[in-house]
Amino acid sequence: MMSHELLDVRDLKKYYPVTAGFLSRHIGDIKAVDGVSFHVREHEILGLVGESGCGKSTLGRTILRLEEPTSGEVLHRGTDIAKLGKRELRELRKEMQIILQDPDASLDPRMTVGDSICEPLTIHNIGDEKERTERVAELMEQVGLEAAQATHHPHEFSGGQKQRVGIARALAINPKLIIADEPVSALDVSIQAQILNLMMDIQQEFGLAYLFIAHDLSVIKHMAHRVAVMYLGKIAELASKPELFQNPLHPYTEALLSAVPSVKPKGKERILLHGDVPSPLNPPPGCHFHPRCHRVLPSCSRKEPELAEISQGHFVACHLCDAGDL
Amino acid sequence: MGKSWLRAYILKRLLYAVIIAWGILTVTFVLVRVGPSSPADRYLANMTASGQDVSQIVEAIEARYGLDKPMHEQYIEYMGNLFQGKLGWSFSNSMPVIDLIKTHWIYSFQLILLSSIFAALLGVVVGIYSAVKQYTKTDYIATFFSFVGISLPNFWLGVMLILVFSVKLGLFKTYYDTGLPLFSLDNLKALVLPVMTLGTGMLAGYVRYTRSAMLDNLRKGFVTTARAKGLPERTVIGKHVFRNALLPLVTIVMFDLGSIVFGGAYLTEIVFGIPGLGQISFNAIFANDYPVVVAVTLIGTSIVLLVNLVTDVAYTYLDPRIRYD
Repeated sequence: MMSHELLDVRDLKKYYPVTAGFLSRHIGDIKAVDGVSFHVREHEILGLVGESGCGKSTLGRTILRLEEPTSGEVLHRGTDIAKLGKRELRELRKEMQIILQDPDASLDPRMTVGDSICEPLTIHNIGDEKERTERVAELMEQVGLEAAQATHHPHEFSGGQKQRVGIARALAINPKLIIADEPVSALDVSIQAQILNLMMDIQQEFGLAYLFIAHDLSVIKHMAHRVAVMYLGKIAELASKPELFQNPLHPYTEALLSAVPSVKPKGKERILLHGDVPSPLNPPPGCHFHPRCHRVLPSCSRKEPELAEISQGHFVACHLCDAGDL
Repeated sequence: MGKSWLRAYILKRLLYAVIIAWGILTVTFVLVRVGPSSPADRYLANMTASGQDVSQIVEAIEARYGLDKPMHEQYIEYMGNLFQGKLGWSFSNSMPVIDLIKTHWIYSFQLILLSSIFAALLGVVVGIYSAVKQYTKTDYIATFFSFVGISLPNFWLGVMLILVFSVKLGLFKTYYDTGLPLFSLDNLKALVLPVMTLGTGMLAGYVRYTRSAMLDNLRKGFVTTARAKGLPERTVIGKHVFRNALLPLVTIVMFDLGSIVFGGAYLTEIVFGIPGLGQISFNAIFANDYPVVVAVTLIGTSIVLLVNLVTDVAYTYLDPRIRYD
């Protein structure tokens, strides 16, 4: 059972302390990631959706230990990343890479794109000079760029091309898992489709697993095998894609799905969410979603719902499901 | 990447520099010469005291130095000489201006050079440290002191340093001793207070600029990916963050140099009695010794123009995106 789980996240928490005043008094924590558990299997694309500020990017960064987790475990094939020393962590970085949202900022403007793609190979001492150059050329062709463009600087590329470079750089050391943090949300819609298709082709060809972070459900619908919905640092619902899209159980998921534009509106009623995501510094008591929920129960403001498996592989954190009353 | 266009660009900039320098010299010449007094005035007190006729003396002196001619003729003559590399005669020092500059430039040069090195090195190191340790006690202390440093006028700071370190503690002399050999520890010691006076403002500025340029780049995505690739933190900071922060820093450092050459160094030389170009120019203004004033202005202007050109050329190497057409 454990063997095909590439990544197993258990009760992961990332709190940022908030201080105030001259003496830096600790007045609370921003609970960016607040007890998240899920796993990613080999060759699987797990979509992670949520509104801005719900902690999905922090989750991605904490898994890679670009942020130190406050508590919890991140198991990569059974080894806890959160407890690794510097050297072991560096070894493990070969297995996991990240692709970021802003293609402009994610390439060093002073380096040629070839050097940017090559850098991971240099860091991990892979191949000699000549082999690395060949590898860079090969990678650039795999992501749909010309090998001759390796000597160009990032400003000579378009946004979509820069994102292709970002993908090539992530692929350079043959990782098994790529965390894609909103990789297409900064791109034009026409370019988005190209990059998504490229990422799917690459996933198939190299047998990669993705943790695909997005706020756009139609992107997730296109890409993911399973989907996790995040709200204010916690997972609200997690299920396989067909299950989640056809049978959403959490009212928040319902609301998100009703907001997805569709070519053939079937007279579906749109559920409008009122207000913004509450502050993670001072979240509402009970279920964090209850002030905005259209199906709120009296118990929702008193008790926090646990993430529970309602049917095979379908997890929901909602009191509506506790009661069996749907 | 070939930079064949760079040559043409440099030539064009040098031509501009000559035109700008000429304009500045003209303005300086006119400003110094329209004053009511004449360079001949300084001789008058002595000579009238010995019973000679004032107007005769003035005429004689003015005739000797060509000061009796109309101003535009004097201007053309002065520029003509300058074009041939002749800087003229200093009335108040009774020697050619070029000799005066030859004996005094080194004092200004050592002060500006040492202050710049002190401020740039320490400022960059503290700025990087402050950015990497953002919002820690060290960062707050560095930020506080850089704020204080920027706010202090340097002539006041110079007087205070003399008061504390020379008068009260007796660690240094109250003035700069010109009798010391240039490359000696004693000379270095004599320059400690002047360098602190001139360097503190610059240092404080560099700390703040380095810190903010570093922070700008620390937030960039390529820093995250560099860490994710497994690059050691030291390399991430040095290679990806600092190198990208360098461009705005070079601008500031070079820009500062201009204001130091014309401002801070003058005042510091006067406070400590350092006989540099600032000092002789300062004295020359009061003595109506216009050839010295114009010559020192010419040197300052040339330095600033050259430094600006060097900076712009340096950009093309620091940032591959920059090219000039």
